Amino acid sequence: MGVLRIESTRVHDWLARPAAPRWRAFDIQLTVYAAALVAIGLAMAFTNSGPDTLVSGSTFTRGLMWAGIAVVVFTIAAAFDYTWLRTFVWPLYALNLALLVVTLAVGDGVGGTQRWVLIGPLQFQFSELSKILTVVVLANYLASPSRRLDSFVTVLGACALIAPSAALVLMQPDLGTSLVFGAILVGTLFLSGVGLRWLGLLGGLAMAALPVLWTYVLRDYQKQRILSFLDPAADPQGSGFQLLQSQVAVHAGGLMGTGLTNSAQGRLDLLPVESTDFVFAILAEELGFIGGLVVFGLFAALLWRVLAAAWRSKDPFGLAMGAGIASMVLFQLIVNVGMVLGVMPITGIPLPFVTHGGASLVSLALGLGLLQSINVHHPRTSW
Amino acid sequence: MSALVGGPRQRSWPLRHPLDLGPGVTARRPSASRFLAFGLVIAIAVSVLVGRLAWMQLLDGGRSQAAARGTIVALEAIRSSRGLIYDRAGRVLVANVPTYTVRIRPADLPLSLREPVVMRLSGLLGLTTGEVNRRIDASAGSRFDLVRIASDVPEATARLITEERSVLPGVEVVVESHRDYLAGELFAQVLGYTSAIAPAELARLKAAGYLPDDVIGRAGVEATYERDLRGVYGQQRVERDASGRRIQILGTVADALPGNSIQLTIDTRQQGLALKALRWGMAEAGLRRGVVIVMNPQTGEVLALVSLPTYNNNEFARGISPERYRELLADPGQPLLNHAISEHFPPGSTYKLVTGTGGLADGEISERTRLITRGYLSIGSFRYPEWNGRGWGPLDIYGGFGHSSDTFFYQVAGMLGIDRLAYWARQYGFGSPTEIDLPAEASGIVPDNQWKLDTLGELIYPGEVYHAGIGQGYDAVTPIQLITAYAALANGGTVFQPQVVREVIAPDGTIVRPFEPRVRHVMDVDPDVLRVMREAARTVVTIRHTYNLVDLPIKVAGKSGTAEFGQRDAQGRLPFHSWFVGFVPQDAANGSFRNADSPLMVLAFAYDSRTVGNAATEIVKYYLQLHFGIDHDYRIPDLLERGNFYGGN
Repeated sequence: MGVLRIESTRVHDWLARPAAPRWRAFDIQLTVYAAALVAIGLAMAFTNSGPDTLVSGSTFTRGLMWAGIAVVVFTIAAAFDYTWLRTFVWPLYALNLALLVVTLAVGDGVGGTQRWVLIGPLQFQFSELSKILTVVVLANYLASPSRRLDSFVTVLGACALIAPSAALVLMQPDLGTSLVFGAILVGTLFLSGVGLRWLGLLGGLAMAALPVLWTYVLRDYQKQRILSFLDPAADPQGSGFQLLQSQVAVHAGGLMGTGLTNSAQGRLDLLPVESTDFVFAILAEELGFIGGLVVFGLFAALLWRVLAAAWRSKDPFGLAMGAGIASMVLFQLIVNVGMVLGVMPITGIPLPFVTHGGASLVSLALGLGLLQSINVHHPRTSW
Repeated sequence: MSALVGGPRQRSWPLRHPLDLGPGVTARRPSASRFLAFGLVIAIAVSVLVGRLAWMQLLDGGRSQAAARGTIVALEAIRSSRGLIYDRAGRVLVANVPTYTVRIRPADLPLSLREPVVMRLSGLLGLTTGEVNRRIDASAGSRFDLVRIASDVPEATARLITEERSVLPGVEVVVESHRDYLAGELFAQVLGYTSAIAPAELARLKAAGYLPDDVIGRAGVEATYERDLRGVYGQQRVERDASGRRIQILGTVADALPGNSIQLTIDTRQQGLALKALRWGMAEAGLRRGVVIVMNPQTGEVLALVSLPTYNNNEFARGISPERYRELLADPGQPLLNHAISEHFPPGSTYKLVTGTGGLADGEISERTRLITRGYLSIGSFRYPEWNGRGWGPLDIYGGFGHSSDTFFYQVAGMLGIDRLAYWARQYGFGSPTEIDLPAEASGIVPDNQWKLDTLGELIYPGEVYHAGIGQGYDAVTPIQLITAYAALANGGTVFQPQVVREVIAPDGTIVRPFEPRVRHVMDVDPDVLRVMREAARTVVTIRHTYNLVDLPIKVAGKSGTAEFGQRDAQGRLPFHSWFVGFVPQDAANGSFRNADSPLMVLAFAYDSRTVGNAATEIVKYYLQLHFGIDHDYRIPDLLERGNFYGGN
């Protein structure tokens, strides 16, 4: 009898495990919101690529290809048991730093920067991948059972963990992306439950470091961008120009927008090289206030689902992962759209999912895939 | 799959059960208040963005006001007019001529329209589409900066382009001025020219207010006095539409300050005489390169400076074609180089001034010391010949300098040694730039033991001391250095910084910088030593070493020199280059060289002058004739015939 019972349990496990119960936890909403944002981004690329939309190598076809890659990455990451990630967190950390060093060594970029690495015909911005890897590494660090969350040492340790990546990105130089690392750090520490006074102290130290940063770290063009944010009319032909152009576009949108493809003639030519970072300006012009509301709604819903995944994960690692991804998406949303709407200085931060940048999209797919993995694979125990 | 998906039983490692954290460690639960706070942050952030979007798109006038808001108020530079240049007598040497320039702002030229616009524009301007495209793409600045496509466009074409502006987006016609050098080749080496700023320069000068399509002084005083001539650009507020096209000028923020004008120390007439004398000598002797410099030894003012062959700086001012520029660069006569200051040559016997001064000043010889001159001196098996092959027997410094005896100065150089010889050369200003207010000056070479150690890794040989003493071997001087050194002899020991600009004058006519002689160095020497050397220089003329120069109705002292260097001919002989530096006393007809009062010094340098006589001396003689209006012609054209004059003088 005993033997029989064991047999039957095994058979039951074998039949029951793979499909239904596990994948029932898969958050279809999260996936749909993200896919909708990607679709909007592709639509913007499609309607604004001009006559050469379907030619291989156009913004749209490249976006389509990256979206395909993103789906594959997402599926693999979701199927993967995220808890296994902790086994090779340190090799991942080393890989992360190595990719950033490679970027500095052989990278290309606009105006003497080193931001992309060419892999075959594709540009890849490793700093995007680095953000997700950093989320994983930080989550692993905070989830260590012996970590005391009410200790400032833990906070300092987390800073030390993130500092090399942020510094390497700052050297490219890419101030915006290195600030994203800061947002990930703060958001993750906060949601993981690190003592508020230590977070306050960290904030104070960061404020104290600002003058040093201004004097010794920021490049002239970065200072120029911040200054021209404070007074865009001071240099309307330089960095203030992008700002003014994007605001003109947003103003032109009105409630309903001018309609797809109806952006003012030549506007896409006018918005500068990083025009993909200004995609929201074109979107607001063509789809109007309604279109903007839809995008904000999708982001709000997406963030809600990400936080839900973090909450439901029921283990510190999953919680910190969700917190990191939510912080990253929220920060990028605020900074990118804030820039277009003239309430934030110009930084080269993409709008998550919508901006047609391959590395950004694939990295986000990886992050969301891992979140789904948290949904699917979290331990079936309660707190 | 099982490994990937895993099951509860495998999960004891690596992740511990959240409730099974080990002894003494409490479980961590997610904090609901923190999640609420984070959610609140999201809500606030999204609300702010929605609010801002609503304000911009719905409340702030919406689409109706968008057109009005589509304009941009920008600051734009107002170009200042470049200062003028006058000659010593106040004659205008350069004028600013209005001209039409066609430019493109690449940001305003949509990619889809680029091809037809480039086609139309190239047709109007008579350029190939390739050239227009190349100029657009060569722009160093941002896509919002104007790129110069064509300068000096005829007015009719400019009108046509302006009328077609609706089909030529991004194309602008701008009135600006270019330099018109009224004297052309006569002053090209002194005035230089202006041309478009290069990308590398722009990076350096952007902070100083230079614009991507700006011009900058390139050579001559246009370069050295760039800051004075340029003035200060002003600023105006202009309103532009969304694509950057100017709608109206709203007001002036700062007026442009016109550049200062400059007055040269050079007189057009004297410059013309110098050119005439040099052209004559070069034609007569079949020379390809030559220099004449006229200076006031009492102040260092350059009164004339001619370097041939030269170029016409108007070619550059109007935008020289790359082919023509390459042609000028490839010319073996190097017309773009100012041979008077940018190239150094062995000074030959003119350098005996240094050796003689050193010998006297160091007490190695006195005014009365006689040294035996003969056919040659020997060091070991090496022979150091006298230029006439015989010598003159015992000679004092007057005879030695007068005959330009090599064996006399070998001996004096040997007494001094290389380092004292170099010391006296530097006292005369050799070995370092004269700091004349013209760009690209060469510094020359004064060899000593340290120099040779640094350059060639060994000490000077005794024979090289002999060569150095007569201006051969490693010695190298620029013509401007040589005349500055002789000016110090003529004025009693002051080495002046030569100047070609006399005054800097503000646009309102006030003098910003009056003329002041600039003393580089006062020689540490007994004035009597220089008196002896001046009288020795007079002896050069009086003993007819310079043929009939003594017959002129003015008193001339001076020194000739011949140097051998360059490429050997079929017989293994080196080309000869001749020098002459001459000066006259204050009272040209009756004055004496005892006094250090000479107001006029003339130097000629004739490159590759294999002539019977010293070509440079003939050129100086002719200049003096012209300068003093001497009717009788003392020139001896026979001396300028190509011949086999192989003696050092």
